[in-house]
Amino acid sequence: MTTHAAVRTTGLTKTYGAGPSQVRALTDVDAEFARAEFTAIMGPSGSGKSTLLHCVAGLDTLSAGRVWIGDTDLTGLDDDALTVFRRDRLGFVFQAFNLLPTLTARENIVLPLELARRRPDPEKVAGIVDAVGLSDRLDHRPSELSGGQQQRVACARALVTGPEVVFADEPTGALDSTSSAEVLGLLRHSADAFGQTVVMVTHDPSAAAYADSVLFLDDGRVVDSLRGPTADSVLDRIKALEKAVR
Amino acid sequence: MLRAILRDLREHKVRVAMTLAAIALGACAVVASWVVSDSTIATLAAGTESREGVDAAAWRGDEGILSEADREALEDMEGVASARSVTAFRAGLIGPDGDLVGSTTPLDMTGTGWDDSGRFSLVEGRSPRAPEEIAVDRVTAEQAGIAVGEDTGVLLDGGHIAEVTVVGAFDYRTLGEHDADDAWVDPRPDVVFDARSAQEHTPGFARVELAAASGADPEQVSRDAESVVAGASAASATTLAEVSDEGQRDAARELRLSLLPFAGIAMLVGVFVISNTFRLLVTQRTRHFALLRAVGARRAQVRATVVVEALVLGAVGAVLGSALGAVLGPAVLTVLRPGEELVFAVSPVALFAGGLAAIVTTVAAAYGAARRAGSVAPMAALREGTGEPGGVRRGRHLLGAVLLLAGVAAVLATSSPSEAAASRIIGLAGAAVSAVGVLLLTPAFTRAALGLVSGVVRNGAGPATRLGLRNAARDPRRAASTVGAVTVGLALVCAIATLSATFASLIASTTEANVPESTTVVEPAAGDRGALVPAAEDPVLESTDVAEIAALSEVGTAMAGSDAMARIDHPGGSTRRVVSAVDPEGLGTALTPHMLEGEADLDRGVIMAETQADMLGLGVGDRLTLGIEGVDLETRVAGLYEATEMSASVFFDVADAPHELADRVNRVHVTGPDPQAARAAVEEAVGDRPDVMVSDRDALIERDVERQQAGFMVMNAMFGLVILVAVFGVVNTLVLSVRERGREIGMLRAVGARRRTVHRVIRVESLALCVFGGLLGIVLGVGVGAVMQNAMLGQSLWTPTVPVPVIATAAAGTVALGVIAAVWPAGVAARTDPLEAITAE
Repeated sequence: MTTHAAVRTTGLTKTYGAGPSQVRALTDVDAEFARAEFTAIMGPSGSGKSTLLHCVAGLDTLSAGRVWIGDTDLTGLDDDALTVFRRDRLGFVFQAFNLLPTLTARENIVLPLELARRRPDPEKVAGIVDAVGLSDRLDHRPSELSGGQQQRVACARALVTGPEVVFADEPTGALDSTSSAEVLGLLRHSADAFGQTVVMVTHDPSAAAYADSVLFLDDGRVVDSLRGPTADSVLDRIKALEKAVR
Repeated sequence: MLRAILRDLREHKVRVAMTLAAIALGACAVVASWVVSDSTIATLAAGTESREGVDAAAWRGDEGILSEADREALEDMEGVASARSVTAFRAGLIGPDGDLVGSTTPLDMTGTGWDDSGRFSLVEGRSPRAPEEIAVDRVTAEQAGIAVGEDTGVLLDGGHIAEVTVVGAFDYRTLGEHDADDAWVDPRPDVVFDARSAQEHTPGFARVELAAASGADPEQVSRDAESVVAGASAASATTLAEVSDEGQRDAARELRLSLLPFAGIAMLVGVFVISNTFRLLVTQRTRHFALLRAVGARRAQVRATVVVEALVLGAVGAVLGSALGAVLGPAVLTVLRPGEELVFAVSPVALFAGGLAAIVTTVAAAYGAARRAGSVAPMAALREGTGEPGGVRRGRHLLGAVLLLAGVAAVLATSSPSEAAASRIIGLAGAAVSAVGVLLLTPAFTRAALGLVSGVVRNGAGPATRLGLRNAARDPRRAASTVGAVTVGLALVCAIATLSATFASLIASTTEANVPESTTVVEPAAGDRGALVPAAEDPVLESTDVAEIAALSEVGTAMAGSDAMARIDHPGGSTRRVVSAVDPEGLGTALTPHMLEGEADLDRGVIMAETQADMLGLGVGDRLTLGIEGVDLETRVAGLYEATEMSASVFFDVADAPHELADRVNRVHVTGPDPQAARAAVEEAVGDRPDVMVSDRDALIERDVERQQAGFMVMNAMFGLVILVAVFGVVNTLVLSVRERGREIGMLRAVGARRRTVHRVIRVESLALCVFGGLLGIVLGVGVGAVMQNAMLGQSLWTPTVPVPVIATAAAGTVALGVIAAVWPAGVAARTDPLEAITAE
């Protein structure tokens, strides 16, 4: 067992349906995501990259195999335990619709703490708010924020509990390039400055270039990995993969 | 197109079910009201199967009797085959409690003699054969709890009580209880002796029944009969039957008219639920409609799809509701009239009316939503999400505020208790208008109130409570129409309760003001026979009874009161009121009217209830004329006293009253040097008599209050239906909201909310809506109730009796309502998969 892995899967398999119409989304995936690093998961549409993220983040159930986050085996937890685990030890940023529309930005950020009935540490919250650069928009409702600002609030919420891992599912999918750069820079910064483990699914090579390493999926299997990616090197790998499929 | 609509409906079973329930309950209420009134009359009419062999009848009105000579004269008439005499006399059945059994027949016509004319249809036992045997009317016996084979007593003329055994029970076939002038002809007897004993109880006959010779015209026979016997009235059996049918139709119509408003209210609340549901449906399908428009559907076509959907739903709801009403109506009747053999009448008209009402209501309620669907721009298909509906429409609020202010102004302008009838109606209309205004303003109230509450609990409560409150306040218009149904239901209950409570305390306080506690009250015993059957005329005591009481040595004053319907001519016009002839001696001792103005001196004129005087525009010293049974009495107003409109309102000197009136006593107020001893003596003297009831002030109050509360109870039971409809509305809104917010709830779960927490969020939302709607309803209801008691009881607007127990129950009820309504939607929400937040399209 490698101790530096924040997230580890063995034989992770996910199937939908049964019988002849059964679909295999993930087949026997063994993967590790290093602690305090920013890892991107890439692959063509339907490669199973989002399913992998959902499974390792405890949002979806597995058909077979195991998932560890730190020393915790997620497959052994029931719904309530899983919920509490997500709340206390994980952070999430989704593509869209990240925020509760009735809560202000500040309330959205501290929501996981409140759900856990933990008193927010004002200094820590202030530090995170500073990092995402939204100090002056905290009392606004999501509908009064731009898409990029909303995603930054979502990042702040993901970071506020000091989670072991932040999972981001296409966080820039609905953003323009300037806002994308802000959000990705923020995730990069959290890994560098706070030693935050970040796992991000993306289909955009230039987004993946912000990561420390990239894991490539195709047809539900891990097919490749790359350390120190650049937009070009990622694009080359993707093209190679697509060629291999044809 | 229709197929698409039907498929759409099938795919949304939940919202369809809830909306259907609301529609069906409205239709059900209409049909049930109809069935109850039709069945009541059918039950009454069941006994009126026409009697064979009688073509005409002759009688002498006003308790006059016919002799054997009269019968012979009638039999000798041309065209008459035979004439049969029929007796009727006083034979009051005494129940197991020792008091007279209530009856729809005047006491002096409760007895008759057995014959085989077909009048009686024996349903149990046998006919009476000996003087101590009687047969009894089946329904009367069942209600009194007297069975065949038991011994009982019968009160005869002169106060004599006959000890008898019930040997049989019968159903009676009447020729018709009244004639066209409303005089008694053939009321149903309660007690039947054998023919010979019956004849011993009365010197003559009440009626002679004629069989016409073949070929003779019964109408001609009855005309001839009136000239043969001086002072007699006569009518053909056909005419009597027609009068009877007409009377029953009138009664059915009246009963229906008194029940249908409740059904109307249930429908009205249904409108809230239905329109709200359709609005949500349209919002949910904005993109769907936009797509239709984009591919070339005209506005009218899009609108039509929603209208057709409403038609389909309305039709299905109409069928379900009508069927339910046809079942529920008889069930209600069985509860209301236990022990009776009921005849149930479910007329096609009832089903049609209920169904039509349901369909029309549904389409009308959905039309607003249909217009909204039609106005969806084709571009909306391309936009993200369904879009939060905009804020509250300013026009609606402006109208609401104007109505509220106008209504309140109308109420205040007419709030003086001395206003005339016309302005009282304006006051009531003002209350209704302001209620509508409040309903229009509900979105603003909702936003303000829920905003305030969530501001207050901002720091004190957990995230679930905060989210629940914010969600409730999120769409004020949706919240308002959800809340509207609850508000209307509770407002109705509270308004009626306020009116009722004020009335009750008014009865108590005026009786207390006018009758000294030490006074003993002697009244004729009268049993009520159930709310749905009109009672016979009021039973009375006789002047000999009063003399008997007055002769008791312990009794100082025995003041008889005789009521009559009199014509009152006053400067402002002429009207009819109940007046009471009393002995002036008793005023001030046995009866102490609480004088507000003038003096209680009957030598100077009449004393009058202040409320009545206000209505008639009379003051102390004004002239008026009382027209009582053909005698005109010129007098003045001597004084005004405090009274409810329930008690007799004008007292005058019995010495001025017609002799016959003084002989019919409605009550005697008794007191003496030692009131306790006087009461004991009265109890001793007449307490055992079945036709006499001895009571006192408190018993009087209790009985009057009970009597009026019973009426209000029925109303509140009907409003229960309204609140049931409201629950469906709340459930419906919540389920739809939960569906709409699937991603949001999934997000909440993803960031760590447990199922339990999600449950709470929805429960808080439901509670916030229900409690707010309830509070608004209570405030509105008490307000409208205050106006009602002001306008209808002539009391000050500002001093209604607040029905605390009802309000407490209502408040507790809304909390329960909120919790119950949330159960299912919260379950749906808690089952939301966190993945929905991310994977939903």
